[in-house]
Amino acid sequence: MSWRIIDYAENDAFMNMAIDEAVSESVRAGGPPTIRFYGWKPSAVSIGFFQSLEKEVDTLACQDAGVDIVRRRTGGGAVYHDSLGEITYSVIAKEGLFPKDILASYRVICGWIIGSLSLLGIEAEFKPINDITAGGKKISGNAQTRRGGVLLQHGTILHSVDVDRMFSLLRVSDEKIKDKTIASVKERVTSVKQQNGATRDELYDALRKGFRSGKDSYDGSLEGSELSRARALSIERYRSMDWNRMR
Amino acid sequence: MRWEEKIPGGKLVCMEVWAEGGTVSRVSITGDFFLHPEERITDIENSLVGIRINAEDLAIAARLDEAIGDSLLIGVSAGDLARIFRKAVGQ
Repeated sequence: MSWRIIDYAENDAFMNMAIDEAVSESVRAGGPPTIRFYGWKPSAVSIGFFQSLEKEVDTLACQDAGVDIVRRRTGGGAVYHDSLGEITYSVIAKEGLFPKDILASYRVICGWIIGSLSLLGIEAEFKPINDITAGGKKISGNAQTRRGGVLLQHGTILHSVDVDRMFSLLRVSDEKIKDKTIASVKERVTSVKQQNGATRDELYDALRKGFRSGKDSYDGSLEGSELSRARALSIERYRSMDWNRMR
Repeated sequence: MRWEEKIPGGKLVCMEVWAEGGTVSRVSITGDFFLHPEERITDIENSLVGIRINAEDLAIAARLDEAIGDSLLIGVSAGDLARIFRKAVGQ
């Protein structure tokens, strides 16, 4: 069994989420386990499946900044995906390739990220449930779903972060910051650049190596059928107000 | 009626409850938790519709347990949801 590795490509938020779903469908139908790297153009906010769009996102600020908003198929929190400031990955494979226990499977895939960061000399650790921290600060967030026997985990690794911009687009609930100031919430985020000055290209090289390590893999691309299915899903689901405003 | 809570070691959960004449008519559960499969959230919300807002713990828990069934909640437990419901309705 060989992993298909799909090289970094940029799409808008709706297409990015649609591609992850289209690949999940093809894996379910017998397609190869897939690792995909991608970026968001334009920059976007993604929210977790169970989050309230209005509560989590300043929609007017996003509109003014030309930032798209999309609801993910996965749970978890709201994320600001800066076009230039991060790299996103997805891992899509039959569930059987991973531990049945959800936390254990997060640990496995997050271990690939931790291994990648260590290639850059950054010491990072898995912070259950779904985060990775470096120097005690969040450097990567991850989210997983399982459907029809297929595991999908996607997540971001922050390369450089403009926390002021991030928090001008996201609303932080009072309960979350309860005993902290907004400044201290901002201080809980870090990036590869902040940790050791590595470039985004260096981060990507490290991720490619780290994710492939110990696996039989090949450089692949999306099938035409996956792309056409993704285009349809992008319009039918991820661009639709019914989906994005369902909570 | 609404209650929001960051579960220690878990996730943020917000429950909004609408009631008519002391009986729950609608429930909305939002937050950054995980649930597999995700669509089960509707069953969980609907399981509390029709219950009295002063219902006993056991009745609340039984309804939630039945709705959760074989689905998997991560970052919040059925017990947390029952407690958050009681907080939301002020019991």
